[in-house]
Amino acid sequence: MAAPDLLDPKSATHNTKPRLSFSTKPITLTPREESEVVATVMKWKTVTAIFLLVVLYLVMGAAVFRSLEQPHESAQRLAILSQKLEFLSRHSCVNQSQLEELVKQVVSAIRSGVNPAGTLTNHSSLWDLSSAFFFAGTVITTIGFGNTSPHTEGGRIFCIVYALLGIPLFGFLLAGVGDQLGTIFGKGIAKVEKMFVHWDISQTKIRVISTLLFVLFGCLLFVALPAAIFKHIEGWSALESLYFVVITLTTIGFGDFVAGGSEIEYLDYYKPVVWFWILVGLAYFAAILSMIGDWLRVISKRTKEEVGEIRAHAAEWTANVSAEFKETRRRVSVEIYDKFQRAASIKRKLSSELGFSPAPELTLPRRTVSVNFNDERDKIERDAGLQGLTTPLTRNSGLYMNGLDPERGDISIIEHLK
Amino acid sequence: MNSVGKSWLLLTGLIVFYIIYLLFGALVFSSIERPVEEQLRRDMDALKQEFLNQSCVSAASLENFLVRVLTANKYGVSVLRNSSVTSNWDLASSMFFANTLVTTVGYGHTTPLSDTGKAFSIVYALIGVPFTMLVLTACVQRIMYPLVIAPVCLLQRSGLEPRPATVVHFVLLLVLVVLCFFLMPAAVFSVVEVSWSFLDGLYFSFISLCTIGLGDFVPGTQPGQKYRPLYQVAVMVYLFVGLMMMYLLLRTFHKMSDLHGLTSFLQLPRCEDSDVDEDREPIVDEDSRTANHVTEKTASRHLDPASQPSYNTINKG
Repeated sequence: MAAPDLLDPKSATHNTKPRLSFSTKPITLTPREESEVVATVMKWKTVTAIFLLVVLYLVMGAAVFRSLEQPHESAQRLAILSQKLEFLSRHSCVNQSQLEELVKQVVSAIRSGVNPAGTLTNHSSLWDLSSAFFFAGTVITTIGFGNTSPHTEGGRIFCIVYALLGIPLFGFLLAGVGDQLGTIFGKGIAKVEKMFVHWDISQTKIRVISTLLFVLFGCLLFVALPAAIFKHIEGWSALESLYFVVITLTTIGFGDFVAGGSEIEYLDYYKPVVWFWILVGLAYFAAILSMIGDWLRVISKRTKEEVGEIRAHAAEWTANVSAEFKETRRRVSVEIYDKFQRAASIKRKLSSELGFSPAPELTLPRRTVSVNFNDERDKIERDAGLQGLTTPLTRNSGLYMNGLDPERGDISIIEHLK
Repeated sequence: MNSVGKSWLLLTGLIVFYIIYLLFGALVFSSIERPVEEQLRRDMDALKQEFLNQSCVSAASLENFLVRVLTANKYGVSVLRNSSVTSNWDLASSMFFANTLVTTVGYGHTTPLSDTGKAFSIVYALIGVPFTMLVLTACVQRIMYPLVIAPVCLLQRSGLEPRPATVVHFVLLLVLVVLCFFLMPAAVFSVVEVSWSFLDGLYFSFISLCTIGLGDFVPGTQPGQKYRPLYQVAVMVYLFVGLMMMYLLLRTFHKMSDLHGLTSFLQLPRCEDSDVDEDREPIVDEDSRTANHVTEKTASRHLDPASQPSYNTINKG
């Protein structure tokens, strides 16, 4: 799928680099003093439409998730209940309330980050320096995995203050890294364009190809490669690794899968490398998501424009055709009338010279013509042209005497003269 | 060349400062949380010992049982007797989950179990996140006028200079947002949720509205919650409106710092760089200022790609 705004020749000449950024410009117009009333009306409609679309999207997602997940959840529930019953039956000295109490304590311990399963002696702390560093990173990038979270009041208050300062700081950093990434990419594009200029391919095609290349290369470097590494080190499946990468880099960060969060022996430099990957990958994902946002916006604008254009064209065409038709009818009727008047005056002169009475002869052919003409009338309305009148009217050869030419379609207007 | 060198220098400085900030945070968190964790671990140990002593259960089978319980719990399935029979994936909860996905909050209290669910989440998020940002932008653009431009003009007309007017307005807006979207919801949550204190409610509001979403507190997940679907929908609405206000704050701050020359000093993308043709709303209505902005913009504009990483607008500087 090509970026529509790259294909616009205006923007191609205006920007030296492909636009990958998401401009915060919305679909709606801004209120200007002059046209404020009109713009306000349009904005509300557009915003409401978009809002309804989002609600629809959410409902659709909810329905799909429910149909996919509920069976699994029920199966999981049944499994664990049967486990519990089996446990109780096998160890008859334990009664249910004791077990419930233990489970409750265990669950709340898990919530506090302490895992009672497994031997507790060689358990590494969740708050040693490297893990705390990782946690601070998840807070600032707003990923927020949640596998560790502060449980003391002091910790929570500090978390709030820390995030308040750290998130803008990270925002600046992300902007800077994205900048540099974009510069590197832009330079590469310029080089590629220089190469291709000899091959005489259009500039927009080059831009489209280069955008695709950027997306593919970035996907390879920041998504596929780390996913493969995680699969190997953490022992997840391919889908789970990809799922982790996407959920992390969009800063959603569920926390069901966390790199460096399992009980495996990790290498010393594993966690810092993961953190660095998150930083650069976030910048890349920001660019990609901005691009998708741009496309959505341009597509919706284009669609609106196109629909508007089509409607305008149709209206224009209809108006043109009817105006043309009216004009032709008017013009021809005037000509016919003139000719008729001249013919009538000639006839009067002739008859006055020869001593005939002119009136009845004139009316007869006219009436005949109009009767024949009524069949043809609909055809004329449809074709907006004045052909196809010749055959039924040539019988009335008397018309030729009056100077009216059926071939020219003058007959069509005769009924106006009645 | 000078500006390029300066930008590299700034970037390096930012990275170094960022690392220092992370280290500092790590130290503080570590010193606060670690003792508590140690204590809890000791308590757990004692509990397990006590349980094993007075029963016929062997350590191995207990371990086995606990592991399974914890795995189920990770997916939100509780084994306790009084756990509610409501599913985590009925329509309202699924919608809540979809909402946490597209707003990038991502609590993680329920996560997709099936492979298909995970694959669908990936696609849904990739489309939904930019889509949501689009909607937020459109909404913010709409409310920017009555909430920001008009009050600032009003302040200017009542005699203030443009710069102090924007500062005063920003402070007022900040106080209003904190009151309505942090303090008030915190009070409401501390009343509705049985086990939350006021600080917990405030912590939850902050963590959610910054889209961090740790997931240690999630409203509506307590067993026996009355009117659960309605409650979850209300929380969703609160999150969306709150996100919009945060974005509005950010945008106002960005425009304000444009005006005060901060963004061009730090060589950051100006707020108006992104406004190409349609959106030219200077925060103050002075024609001379807009002329200045135009010339400054051409000087400081150096890059388009990824210069406005606004998919996560809270990150945006």
